Amino acid sequence: MTRRTKGGLEREILAVLAAGPGPMTPAQVRDALDGELAYTTVLTVLSRLLEKGEVVREPAGRGYVYGPRDAAELAARRMAEVLGERDTDREAVLTRFVDGLSDGDEHLLRSLLDR
Amino acid sequence: MTAAVVAALAAILAFTAVAPRLGHRLPPSVAASVLTVGSVLVAGSTGVVLAVLALTWLGQAPPVAQLAEWSPYALAAANPVPNFVAAGGLALLAAAGLRVTIRALRRGRAVMDVRRCHRGTSATVLVVDSLRPDAFATPGPGGRIVVTSALLAALTPAEQRAVIAHERAHLRRGHAWLLLLADLAEATNPLLRHTFRAVQHAVERWADEDAARHTGDRELVARTIARVALLRHDTAARPMTPAATGGQVPRRVRALLSPRPRLRPWLAGTLLALLTFSAVATVAVERTGDALFDRVATVQDR
Repeated sequence: MTRRTKGGLEREILAVLAAGPGPMTPAQVRDALDGELAYTTVLTVLSRLLEKGEVVREPAGRGYVYGPRDAAELAARRMAEVLGERDTDREAVLTRFVDGLSDGDEHLLRSLLDR
Repeated sequence: MTAAVVAALAAILAFTAVAPRLGHRLPPSVAASVLTVGSVLVAGSTGVVLAVLALTWLGQAPPVAQLAEWSPYALAAANPVPNFVAAGGLALLAAAGLRVTIRALRRGRAVMDVRRCHRGTSATVLVVDSLRPDAFATPGPGGRIVVTSALLAALTPAEQRAVIAHERAHLRRGHAWLLLLADLAEATNPLLRHTFRAVQHAVERWADEDAARHTGDRELVARTIARVALLRHDTAARPMTPAATGGQVPRRVRALLSPRPRLRPWLAGTLLALLTFSAVATVAVERTGDALFDRVATVQDR
């Protein structure tokens, strides 16, 4: 068995969930991965992915089943992270609807709106 | 050669001085295109002039002269460019090369970072859960429109359509790449800073006009821009941009409250004439530089 990195295992589990027929239990995820991973390892990675918001889960029987998050929603979450960071390069490559205002602009705009 | 260099530099100075002003009086689509093409030409001209100047000095170094097969003494004697000017040209050329390389790498990485975010989904419009009203488009092809939940909540459906139409125009017209070209031109020649600002403004105005045509309501687009700008201003934890870049939003709103801008052929013609002159002068610099090196060559071409 080849050693897996932490991020590598996360990606593999995400791929398994994305390819799966529907929400899967941790045991099903473990069986779908090649190699002999401990059940607790899979569970740990799944809860980490859940914390990051990259998977969703719902109660089923005595445990939970896990599924991939909607791709558009996932993209939106990643975008939110991009938005949160102040990065001049990213600011430069995005075409934003409006830029910042100076205080003078603010008064001017309010008077234009009131017309 | 001196005359050609002076003419080329004069054309660069003239363009960087008048282009931003003339650009503001042209229809935005024409302004954005002409100013971007002009910026790239001026950046190229800057590079050629500096390279020829630098070579008249570098070429006097024995190893370089030997490689190029010309006489360093003949070059020193025939060179009309004072050494300190040529050395200054070399320094500026190196600085420009470094600046443009660094900026291209950084911007390129940012484009890839942003595009990686929306991999795996085919949705064109992504709604981000955020308390800050914001909307932007990511660089195409296949760029996405990103709007925040706060923006959608604050706007009427008609205003939402105006925002989306504006961002769609950015995507359809490839505005992100025009901006990137003008940005890299500015890295080569910082005199183009005001021209770059004018391109930024023209690109926003262009998308505004497209949105106005799409919604059929100039006043709606004007009101939407003003409202979103004020909403963003009110929710900003700290000032977004220095006051130096202020004034763009009110100008956009005013322009939309006025009739559609008309094409002024003589204004666009002036800019194109200036650029043609710049191109001719640049070619002349290259030719006369070539002639100088031919004259001092140790091996004569037959």
